[in-house]
Amino acid sequence: MQHDVVAIVPELMLIATALLMMLIDPWVPRKERRGFSWLGILACATAAVSTWLSRGEQFTTFSHGIALDKFTVFFKLLLLAVAVLAMLLSEQHLELKGRLLGDYYALILLATVGLMVMAESIDLVTFFVGLELMSLASYVLAGFFRRNSRSIEASLKYFLTGSFASGIVLFGMALLYGVSGSTNYEEIGTAIRIGPVDGHVIVIAIVLLIGGFAFKVAAAPFHSWAPDVYQGAPTPVAAFLSVGPKIGAFAVIIKFFTIILGSEHARWAPLLIAVAIATMLTGATMALLQRDLKRMLAFSSIAHVGYLLLAVVAMGENINSFGDSSILFYLAAYAAMNMGAFGVLVFLANSGKFGDSLDEMAGLGRRYPGAAGVMTVFMFSLAGIPPTAGFLAKFYLFAAVVDAGLAWLAVVGVLFSVVSAFYYLRVIVYMYMREPEAETAAAMEPTGKRSWDLTLGLGLATAVVVVMGILPGPVLTAAQDAVAKILGS
Amino acid sequence: MTFLPTLGALVMLVLMRGRPLLYKYTALATTAAVFVLSLVMVFKFNQNTASFQFIEKVNWIPRLGSSYHMGVDGISVLLILLTTLLSLVIIPASWNYIKDRELSFFAAFLFLETGMIGTFCARDLLLFYVFWELMLIPMYFIIGVWGGPRRIYAALKFFLFTMAGSVLMLVAIVAIAYLARPNHFAAPVFDLDQLQNAVFSFPVQLAAFLAFFIAFAIKVPMWPVHTWLPDAHVEAPTAGSVILAGVLLKMGGYGIIRFCIPLFPDAAAAAVPYILILSIIAIIYGALLSLVQKDLKKLVAYSSVSHMGFVTGGIFALNIIGVEGGVLVMFSHGLLTGSLFLLVGFAYERLHTREISAMGGLASPFPVLASFLLFFTLASLGLPGLSGFVGEFLSLLGLFSYNKAMAVIAAGGIILAAAYLLWMYLRTMFTETRDEKWFKLSDLNLREISALVPLGALAVWVGVYPATFLNIINPSVTRLVHQMAPYMAQHGNFLTRFLAALGGRL
Repeated sequence: MQHDVVAIVPELMLIATALLMMLIDPWVPRKERRGFSWLGILACATAAVSTWLSRGEQFTTFSHGIALDKFTVFFKLLLLAVAVLAMLLSEQHLELKGRLLGDYYALILLATVGLMVMAESIDLVTFFVGLELMSLASYVLAGFFRRNSRSIEASLKYFLTGSFASGIVLFGMALLYGVSGSTNYEEIGTAIRIGPVDGHVIVIAIVLLIGGFAFKVAAAPFHSWAPDVYQGAPTPVAAFLSVGPKIGAFAVIIKFFTIILGSEHARWAPLLIAVAIATMLTGATMALLQRDLKRMLAFSSIAHVGYLLLAVVAMGENINSFGDSSILFYLAAYAAMNMGAFGVLVFLANSGKFGDSLDEMAGLGRRYPGAAGVMTVFMFSLAGIPPTAGFLAKFYLFAAVVDAGLAWLAVVGVLFSVVSAFYYLRVIVYMYMREPEAETAAAMEPTGKRSWDLTLGLGLATAVVVVMGILPGPVLTAAQDAVAKILGS
Repeated sequence: MTFLPTLGALVMLVLMRGRPLLYKYTALATTAAVFVLSLVMVFKFNQNTASFQFIEKVNWIPRLGSSYHMGVDGISVLLILLTTLLSLVIIPASWNYIKDRELSFFAAFLFLETGMIGTFCARDLLLFYVFWELMLIPMYFIIGVWGGPRRIYAALKFFLFTMAGSVLMLVAIVAIAYLARPNHFAAPVFDLDQLQNAVFSFPVQLAAFLAFFIAFAIKVPMWPVHTWLPDAHVEAPTAGSVILAGVLLKMGGYGIIRFCIPLFPDAAAAAVPYILILSIIAIIYGALLSLVQKDLKKLVAYSSVSHMGFVTGGIFALNIIGVEGGVLVMFSHGLLTGSLFLLVGFAYERLHTREISAMGGLASPFPVLASFLLFFTLASLGLPGLSGFVGEFLSLLGLFSYNKAMAVIAAGGIILAAAYLLWMYLRTMFTETRDEKWFKLSDLNLREISALVPLGALAVWVGVYPATFLNIINPSVTRLVHQMAPYMAQHGNFLTRFLAALGGRL
């Protein structure tokens, strides 16, 4: 019985902190609300420590509802790091917009708990609980600037498409339950493998699940909510939403497509390949057309999801494939570089009247050499140029694809990455090689305010991107060990 | 040695903001120190063996089977010497040329130097790729930030062209690294020493060869993927052009010798005739385009395409003379074209134009500049006794023993080179002096001359006594050619006959 608690101690800590925050928020005077961010970070840090202490454990609990293994630990730590980064990026922005509330941090923590539950679940019902917890918190977060119509639009759009997607996933899960009579991943997997199962039902379930997941991770053709939501949501929230839910969803995708549907690879691979190619195509080409940086980053994250889906295909190709560990490594690199890029936008929004447009980036290299410098690192990393984390992540991922015998898919992937290099480089072009128009230059004069949180957050993201690019050893080892034995498989 | 420039750059960036003299001298001192180190390396280099020397090997990513494995053979040594020398001379050459964000400019060149040296030393494919791409970043900034009016277009084109080639190479690297594993659970093999012994089936070889070759051909650049070159050169600042022409183009030739041919001998042998045809097209086409250029820099840029044709032509003749010739052309082209770009840059600083038609009679106001230009022009068009001649002659000899008709056509390139270079010289330096104001401008100063003299001296050395340099590269080239001999015998005969028949009909 003691095991039960050990597995969810980090989640309990976060939930307790979130409740505490909501409870004390009304009594805290406006000026002293800055402490919330540090309270949240402290909670995440202790949760991370307790996760770290349980890294040697290997068991399932809560009636086989959740698993504690290296895979879970990897994802939990990654998600906690994302939450910390999101909180570091948020404070000054919220303060400037007059929305510095304890609720915000509580919601981030709750969303993180949801994501962690998704990552550790090995049961359909547990997974769905985590998914809904995460989704509900993020709908509210997207609309957190309630007087800003775009923020509300983002929230509503996210809510409608998101709950629709949840419904679709639920349909797929219901069919799986129907054919196997169980909600446990392993038991469903065994039932499908041994059969007899109606092939049509499986195909329909696969289509529904892929469709639902495609919604959640913003893969084509169900991606169109992403740019609107990222654009409308508060920028720190967009940073969180563009990374967190994807990490959680890919943890589930890895488990679904190995444990449950591993034997049905021939049925889902072609569909997933089509989705992946369509996703890369949409992401890379649409990002070319964007003048708004948040939209550009949204489409760029769609393109990255396309690469990740390729690795999912590779993962199922044979038992020795390291597609799964390449996904883990990629997610870690992607989290750092994408949140960093959004963080720079937060920084710019805080220091002046920044409207997220590309034109306003002109001459940034002179006005904010530091911000422009780290943005350059993030852009090169997103484009996959060494010596950054993005390069090694992409390298390792495409290595998995090639190794699985899908060299042609890797070629398609790298060609899209050349296309995408164009729009990342364009940001650098604007920052260093163009002079701003007089009026933007005036509007972008520094306000002189400085946020140590934000600086720390950006510094951490940059450090991760560079260190993972030069010395990837520890993260790579962790990613490979994490998938060595996923419980339930 | 590889990371000394990076260290210098970091020191400059951190400590010396707003102190122009200090950081310029630091840049100078750093490149000078690296140059001295490379000289020491040349002297300590054992010329009697083809095996790699000065090896450094440290585990880098053990899980991926990749290590930090550096080492040099004769070919690398020669090109590293060229790299460090050119990096040294461009510092004084651009002392006052850049007005804006100077610190970053010099720092970018130091980063670039790290990338270049690393590329020439890397003995691990993944490491090589990292350095190879690493060079792109500073070069992209050098063109894009400090370039001419169309710099953004040129920088993007440069970057995307090179990247398009290299990502395909990346897929090929991954493919062969995983195919070379002894069993399915082993880590992939990126180490060149081990890959050298791996045998790949012909289709794999062909696909990988093509992927590598396209990446290198873009860098060389070979016809028809050369179009980024004139744009990049014209827009790049002088120092950028010097490094671009002097070193970056050599990466292509180096990559072909180091990776394309020894890793995929079968495919390389099969590809020989096609590549030779492309090389000859490049020689003639580049020379013809040089004839009609109105812009001095463009002229030199297109002449590079032509000269680099001799490099690929010599290398793919795949006999000892040809490959040695190809490598020597690379070295001498680095010296000569580097100096030509420097001279064009110096002229531009004074006249603020590069249009040939706007010049004329420069010899009387600028006698020193004119004599240097004459020297390097003559060297470049292949005057015996100077470096251009030796390399191209050897390269032609190599081609000749492979196929006579090809050598004859390629020799036409030398005649054309004489035509466009002498004509250019005539139009810019002689005839009437266009503008009386020019007499008030100063000729080359000591700083500028000091940048040119070492290059000129080496050009004479290579021209008079090439044995010094050929001895360095000989063992490595011999090994390569011996390795290729059986494959050439297999493919070569049939295709030589085929081409001879084709030639006979024409």
